[in-house]
Amino acid sequence: MAAPTAYVESVGRTAVTSVSAVGRAGFLGVDALRALRKASLWGPHLLGQMARVGVDSVPIALFIATFTGIVLALQASYTFTGAVPLYFVGALVGKTMILELGPVLTGLALSGRVGANIAAEIGTMRVTEQIDALETLAYDPVAYLIVPRILAGAIMFPMIVVLANAIGILAGLGASLALLDLSALQFMRGVRLFFEPFDVRFSMIKAMTFGITVTSVGCAFGYQTRGGAEGVGRSTTRAVVISSMIILVLDAFWAAVLLR
Amino acid sequence: MSIEILDVHKSFGDKHVLKGFTLSIRDGETTVVIGGSGSGKSVALKHIVGLLRPDGGEVWVDEHNVSRLDQESLYQLRRNVGFVFQFAALFDSMTIAENVGMGLRRMPDFPDADIPDRVADCLRMVDLDGYGDRLPSQLSGGQRKRVGLARAIATRPKYILYDEPTTGLDPVTTAVIDELILRMSDELGVTGVVISHDMKSAFRIADRVAMLYDGVIRIDGTPDEVRACEDPIVKGFIEGRPELMAAGR
Amino acid sequence: MSRGREFLVGLVIIVAVAVAVVGTLWLQGTNFGRPTRTVEALMLSAGQLDEGNPVTYRGVRIGTVASITVEPSGDAIRVTMLLTDPVELPPDPAVVLGPESLFGDWQAEIVSVARFPRFSFYDVPPDASTSAGVPGPLLGGYALPEITRLTASAEQISGNLADLTDRLELTFNDETAANLTAAIGNVEAITEDLRALVEQQSAVAASITANADSALLEVEQAAIAARRSFDRVDGLLADEQIDSIVTNMRVASAGIRDLAADLSDPEDGLAVTLDRADSALARVDRIAARLEAGEGSLGRLLTDSTLAVRTEEVLRSLDFLLQDVRENPGRYVRLSIF
Repeated sequence: MAAPTAYVESVGRTAVTSVSAVGRAGFLGVDALRALRKASLWGPHLLGQMARVGVDSVPIALFIATFTGIVLALQASYTFTGAVPLYFVGALVGKTMILELGPVLTGLALSGRVGANIAAEIGTMRVTEQIDALETLAYDPVAYLIVPRILAGAIMFPMIVVLANAIGILAGLGASLALLDLSALQFMRGVRLFFEPFDVRFSMIKAMTFGITVTSVGCAFGYQTRGGAEGVGRSTTRAVVISSMIILVLDAFWAAVLLR
Repeated sequence: MSIEILDVHKSFGDKHVLKGFTLSIRDGETTVVIGGSGSGKSVALKHIVGLLRPDGGEVWVDEHNVSRLDQESLYQLRRNVGFVFQFAALFDSMTIAENVGMGLRRMPDFPDADIPDRVADCLRMVDLDGYGDRLPSQLSGGQRKRVGLARAIATRPKYILYDEPTTGLDPVTTAVIDELILRMSDELGVTGVVISHDMKSAFRIADRVAMLYDGVIRIDGTPDEVRACEDPIVKGFIEGRPELMAAGR
Repeated sequence: MSRGREFLVGLVIIVAVAVAVVGTLWLQGTNFGRPTRTVEALMLSAGQLDEGNPVTYRGVRIGTVASITVEPSGDAIRVTMLLTDPVELPPDPAVVLGPESLFGDWQAEIVSVARFPRFSFYDVPPDASTSAGVPGPLLGGYALPEITRLTASAEQISGNLADLTDRLELTFNDETAANLTAAIGNVEAITEDLRALVEQQSAVAASITANADSALLEVEQAAIAARRSFDRVDGLLADEQIDSIVTNMRVASAGIRDLAADLSDPEDGLAVTLDRADSALARVDRIAARLEAGEGSLGRLLTDSTLAVRTEEVLRSLDFLLQDVRENPGRYVRLSIF
């Protein structure tokens, strides 16, 4: 009866696998930092990746932000009824949108859109030996494939989140005008009530780290893909799950570090 | 100037693939490495360009120990080695011409203005004139392999490594590829290393044939020597007689 | 990479940066390019005023409080206000600090001194000057006490009134009767002060009284206690001759009760309420005057001098309290829900 030893072995194997996965990701991160020097390799691709990561993500991000803003406004008014002046709806929508939901919901949505896309693309390149082909043609695949994607994420996520924040607040305003007994001036008074310029910076810092997370996790899982189409599928799923988890942990981390 | 593979060991997890692989590739010759599927032929080939690093042993290319080279020197060395992948490994977001020109753009001494001419030249050599604007997805498997070859020769390398160039192709296309490999050797004078398990093709193009079996080179010689070999493993493999190989084990 | 894609990337970045910058400035309340001017005021206390609070003129927001600093001498605080509205200020401008809403946010209101003669605006010394680059004049300011503190004081006063009426159960002599008269005179004076304070509140921030119900409940309870005491006096003095006096006292206590009730009624102004309180206390005064004259059987109670002493103590503390409320409103006043 080998079951107990088999169990212990599986624990050991899992531990080694996870540690080595983290280690490989770490090496990849170091390689990526080093590859930043090779601007001639990643430079020409940065704009294209910014378009793919950023521009193409704008519609989904704004779609999410719109409905988040509407729901926030309605829920706030429902919660405040009678107890708190209605213009606090604006304060809640503005604060929640900028500090939390704008960056986090956008980050989560884009981990599905951008992260999965990157993992699948790089994973496919790995299993079809395109990455090896790059190596043999003297292209550093880290500089050529990974760096422009991560940079694009770091640059474009804050841009998308700013737009999402603005649209979310505008949607909240629209919902307040259309469905609540609240004027635009009252709503904006609420938004301004607790607004701090730091909120916008906080939102963008969060968005940037989320962008780096989503793209680098996508790249790391794609880059380490093994085993054909099935492997690509596995990498894609893992990239989305892991980057979503990291986003939520980072969210708490930034709140703990910057909001105290 | 040559390629020397000395006592290379390589494992993937529990699987010991190369167990002291040793092979000399002579300049100007085409060496075909034959062996069964999964015998580690591709693994051995990838060691030559540093895509894989040996667990033990050494790989020497042009007096450079590949496994010891830093990244920059490795890229330097790879400019002298063309690699033709099993499934061509074309970049599917790029046109055929861009694919073929990829390596040239990384050659510091090669003027960018000359790239289109060189690309057209290479495409002509593989009989794909006028295909430059197409995407890889618009080509057949055989055509893609030829593009892969064109990409490998674009930088005029001294060595070309072919990973199963004829696998999965029909006999006519196989003959075309074989013809191309011979032409590379004759016209450009390149040293070729071909991984294959297609015996007919192997003997047609080879100056030397080596057989990889159980992680080591079982035999290394001219095609005639190999054909005359009485080793049941070699004989069984060449003639496609598993019972002989089973007896020799 | 087509030109169109490049354009889109550029567009997204430019729009996002513009939204971030303009949005931040706008939400911060920056005044885009419109002319601004700075006005400074000196006053004794900042109350609950904070940087960024609105500056209003006749109820309209015309700017924000830029900074609040203590003068180097420590005698006053200096409030710097950034006005974004090019409105012409009154010829005799001054600044009143007071609550803007029930939520504890304060505002600085620019007023005409003539409109608020009761307020003791800070007397700006002639040698004081505005900061460099700020055109004069340097305004005087006054921070309002808060309504809850006033109602708390009202409660204490009511408690002391109850105390006072308790003492009526004991006998007292002519001397104490005289003292009592003086004391009740004090109460009247004190009430007048209280009325003035509350009137200021109601004049500048009338809206806040509408929400002061809970605080005023305490006043009502105190008034009920006072009435109970009067009732006790009523029982003690079951003499027909003093019936009218007792009736007057009932009226007085009812007046106090009405005061409390009216305070919680947003329709009636505080001033009206306090007028009633005044008349109620005037009646108390009249009762005391009759007692002093030895009218009726109540006169025979006026034999104990200890009562007068204790009454005086009570009144002294009451007087001290009100003086303190007047001088240090901030010490008592703290109205904030959040």
